[in-house]
Amino acid sequence: MWPQLILSGMAIGSMYGLVALGFQMTYAVSNTMNFSQGAVVMVGAVLCYCLNITWGLSAIAAVPITLILCAALGLLIERWIVRPFARNGSQSWLLSTIALGIIAENLVMLTFGKEVRGYPSPLAETPVSILNFGVYPLELVIPVVGLSTALALRLLFTRTLWGKAFQAASENPDTARLLGVPVTWLIALSFSLSTALAGLAGMLIAPIANVSATMGTLLGVKAFATAMIGGLSNPWGVMLAGVLYGVVESVAAGTLGGSYREIVGFIVVIVVLSVRPNGLFGRSQVKKV
Amino acid sequence: MNRRLIVGLSVFAITIAAALGAPNTYYLFVLGMVAVTTIVSVGLNILAGLSGQISIGHAGFFAIGAYAGSLLMLRAEWHFGAALALAALTAAGTGVALSGPALQVSGPYLAMVTIAFGIIVERVLIEWVSLTGGFGGLSGIPKPAVLGLQPVLRESVLFVIVLAFLSVVSFALLKRHPWGKAFQAVRDDAIAAAAVGLNPLYVRVMAFAVSAALTGIAGVFFAVIVGFVSPDSFTFHRSILFLLAVILGGLGTAEGAFIGALILIILPEFLHDFADYQLLVFGSLLLLTLRLAPDGIMSLFRRWAKPTAAVRPLSNPPDLPEFVTQNKQQMPLKVTDLSIQFGGIKAVDSVSFTAQPGTITAVIGPNGAGKTTLLNLISGFYRPQSGAITLGAAQLNRMGSRRIAALGVSRTFQATRLFNTLSVLDNLRVASVGQRLGFILKALLGMGISRKPEPQLLEVLSFVGYQGDVHSTASTLPFVDRRLVEIARALVTRPQVLLLDEPAAGLSQDDKKTLAQLIRRIASSGLKVILIEHDMELVMEISDQVLVMDSGAAIAYGPPAQVKEDPKVLAAYLGAGTTDVDLTRDALAATTPVLAVNNLVTGYDALQVLSGLSLQVNQGELVTVIGANGAGKSTLLKSLVNLLPTWSGDIDFLGQSLATTPAYEIAAKGLVLVPEGRQVLKELDVVSNLQLGGFHRQDNGVAQDIERMLERFPRLRERQHQKAGLLSGGEQQMLAIARGLMAQPKLLLLDEPSLGLAPQLVTSLYATLASLRDEGMTILLVDQMATLALEIADRAYLLETGKIVRAGAAQDWRNDSDLSKVYF
Repeated sequence: MWPQLILSGMAIGSMYGLVALGFQMTYAVSNTMNFSQGAVVMVGAVLCYCLNITWGLSAIAAVPITLILCAALGLLIERWIVRPFARNGSQSWLLSTIALGIIAENLVMLTFGKEVRGYPSPLAETPVSILNFGVYPLELVIPVVGLSTALALRLLFTRTLWGKAFQAASENPDTARLLGVPVTWLIALSFSLSTALAGLAGMLIAPIANVSATMGTLLGVKAFATAMIGGLSNPWGVMLAGVLYGVVESVAAGTLGGSYREIVGFIVVIVVLSVRPNGLFGRSQVKKV
Repeated sequence: MNRRLIVGLSVFAITIAAALGAPNTYYLFVLGMVAVTTIVSVGLNILAGLSGQISIGHAGFFAIGAYAGSLLMLRAEWHFGAALALAALTAAGTGVALSGPALQVSGPYLAMVTIAFGIIVERVLIEWVSLTGGFGGLSGIPKPAVLGLQPVLRESVLFVIVLAFLSVVSFALLKRHPWGKAFQAVRDDAIAAAAVGLNPLYVRVMAFAVSAALTGIAGVFFAVIVGFVSPDSFTFHRSILFLLAVILGGLGTAEGAFIGALILIILPEFLHDFADYQLLVFGSLLLLTLRLAPDGIMSLFRRWAKPTAAVRPLSNPPDLPEFVTQNKQQMPLKVTDLSIQFGGIKAVDSVSFTAQPGTITAVIGPNGAGKTTLLNLISGFYRPQSGAITLGAAQLNRMGSRRIAALGVSRTFQATRLFNTLSVLDNLRVASVGQRLGFILKALLGMGISRKPEPQLLEVLSFVGYQGDVHSTASTLPFVDRRLVEIARALVTRPQVLLLDEPAAGLSQDDKKTLAQLIRRIASSGLKVILIEHDMELVMEISDQVLVMDSGAAIAYGPPAQVKEDPKVLAAYLGAGTTDVDLTRDALAATTPVLAVNNLVTGYDALQVLSGLSLQVNQGELVTVIGANGAGKSTLLKSLVNLLPTWSGDIDFLGQSLATTPAYEIAAKGLVLVPEGRQVLKELDVVSNLQLGGFHRQDNGVAQDIERMLERFPRLRERQHQKAGLLSGGEQQMLAIARGLMAQPKLLLLDEPSLGLAPQLVTSLYATLASLRDEGMTILLVDQMATLALEIADRAYLLETGKIVRAGAAQDWRNDSDLSKVYF
């Protein structure tokens, strides 16, 4: 049973990690986050479902179209829901993005419907046997996609000039501007990348978790928890925290019972944050008088 | 009776009448829910509004109250009153327990802790079936039969309406009570709060406890009115809605709690036939409110509120009121061999001095000398690694900032730290109450609220020379008044030692004179004053003794006249005699202007720093701008590259106005700033820093130029793959200059390149600058080391209080003894 629990924990955990990378990325350059990330996960799944299943587009086309739409959504969110509310140190962006999440969820409920729909996928139909344990191929694909996305982002940030510019903007925005980095533009880009990641997570998880208007809320909260325990300053840390969190949850649910998934998971979050207020892999801020 | 109370009572009366006349249980039920939610909003508003800690987990406290109350009445058959009290205590206890982890964190991390708490509570309710009944919940909860009430719905609703009204009144009272001010003070500035003797931790924990208790009480009434509780009522969603209600109504306003609750409950009822649209409307309404009335719906009513009549302190400043000096003792403050290191750098290096009662000790020194660190050590914000600070018998070096404040060490801050959302008077009230806040329940009952401004606080305000309205909000004060109020706030804590951190920075000449007199008068009343200041005129005029610091160490200590003549002091300030090599060159006959600044006016927020500055830099020249600290040198450079907006005036660069060019396009135009404090990108390696220097470049020469930079600065080559944050100060400065050069500047702006560097490094830095100059680079240099700057410069400008007061050829200034007067 254990390998199975761990594997499926890793699968769901890398989804948390993907969405959490989005939180981390926007927070790094702008000190703001999109609290409707969970809703974007749902939007990604629903869009892909509509394109692929309802309208019969092939998955090869549906997936990139969904990604592009989600990325565009991120630009809109940054421009209209975050930027106007983030001026002069106000925290209103937190509430405006929560409000957007509520709106998105209910809009989808009105248009897409309230029912939960299964997403038939060849990757989640017949379990394959590994070490005598049955797992869906998708549960193997998801961590691979998650980790390779994290790896790709890492390479992007450390090896390319634009990635370095991004790091510069998050460390010291004024200096980055002096060097010619268009920081405002990078912030918009980070939101767009973060919603694309959320959309990707939505598509990956749909065949396992089914598609519904409310599928994103709890996932968004857990992804946020992942970003927090990972520490907002380190993308690798966030991804690792996601996988760890997923495994803890999955093991708790498998050994103690279903609703211990959240009880144990969130107790771990509180304990981690009270011991390490900036997360497991986060940098501490220096107290300055 | 005031208008606010009349409106409040009318709303209350209408609600009571509605409950009495409600035709059926549906209306009663809705009224009851409005009242219950009002109590929750008041509770959440204490935490989020007053104390500034956003909670997205209040459904958890609501559930704990509801279930605890229900279980006590159902299983233990407790009387309603007793069950209510224990439920409130349980919720409060949970609040205190949660504040443990919650106070470790802030911002999004705090939001996460509260979210996690709320969800854990909900899941435990589902899981602990034997106690809570699981999904099915508990039913048959009895209505209260207390205070002669019949156990029927109508009377329970009337009961909770009365309580809701009282909770709103109680919030209004709390907000006016020192406790309420303390909540806000800690929210505005926890460090300043600790400096006036408050315990930020205790204050925040109490906010959690009271907030949780009220929410728990509301939970009991929820259970009683519905007669049934189940986990469905206490979801994450519910927590969000509670928070939204408070925000909609108006964070920190008493009536806002009611308005938010009203909308939260009534709106869905109106949309009863459109159940699917309820949350959609709610979400949109929230977005709209945030956009149109960011401070909530109550803020829209504020414009009709009658402004409080202005109260100004006496115009004739009296002597320092007696209560301020009642604490004074005839014992000196002794600092002995005090040291502290940060990451290997000795910020304060065995400094000793003694401050006697009734005297002023000034601490001076270049930027980065360790002056503010010394002040932070004395006031307990840092713990020294060795050495002692004694005040009479007390060993201050072993105490925290709050105990030190209680012993009578009071301070101001370099960047004035008032409690910005509080009025001037309330800033003083918080400080004068300090640790003696009393029991918080008294605050909720409104006991100990002062209606009129306390005369002794007004006296202190008039003593410091504050002449504005004492009800003005601190954030709206002019710069000078902020300084004065901060000094007044420090005085009302009844100090024996007063620490002032650059009180004169940014003040006009006239204001400085008044300030000097004020400090003198404070000292002559028997206080020990320790003053950090850059304005030498002021220091020399009023101090009894001067301690000069450089690179953490005390390089001179004595009366002002003696210190002034000390060659070490002159060297530290002017950099005189630190180079033996001749770096001068013959005057350059340059006439093609690269940069022309005309009548530039700019500053920060309300503080104007430059007032009509004009200067010019020609092709191939090295021009320096010298002037005392705070004259506006760095401000000038920042506004040239548009990191600060220009208020008025023109900046012409190569025949082009840069007024509308965003900061990130300036470098590509060829105007490149090497900023003060280096600002290398610490997390990136040396080569990446250099690459980013050429970020805007489209040509293929970047790699070649990096090679050239490594050639020029061999130290950087040795460290090319190290993170820039690990380089020494001198290497970081090299890197910052190299990074600037990578941008292919047509004009290089250098801001304080020698700041914090050891003397031999300064020499080699200036040699580098001279060689750049000789290669034909056009440079505008701002540096504290005036002598060195003049040695390599072709022309120089002297900047005083935001204006150019003198301009000329650098060679004429080199042996000008008048120049040291700028600094002394």
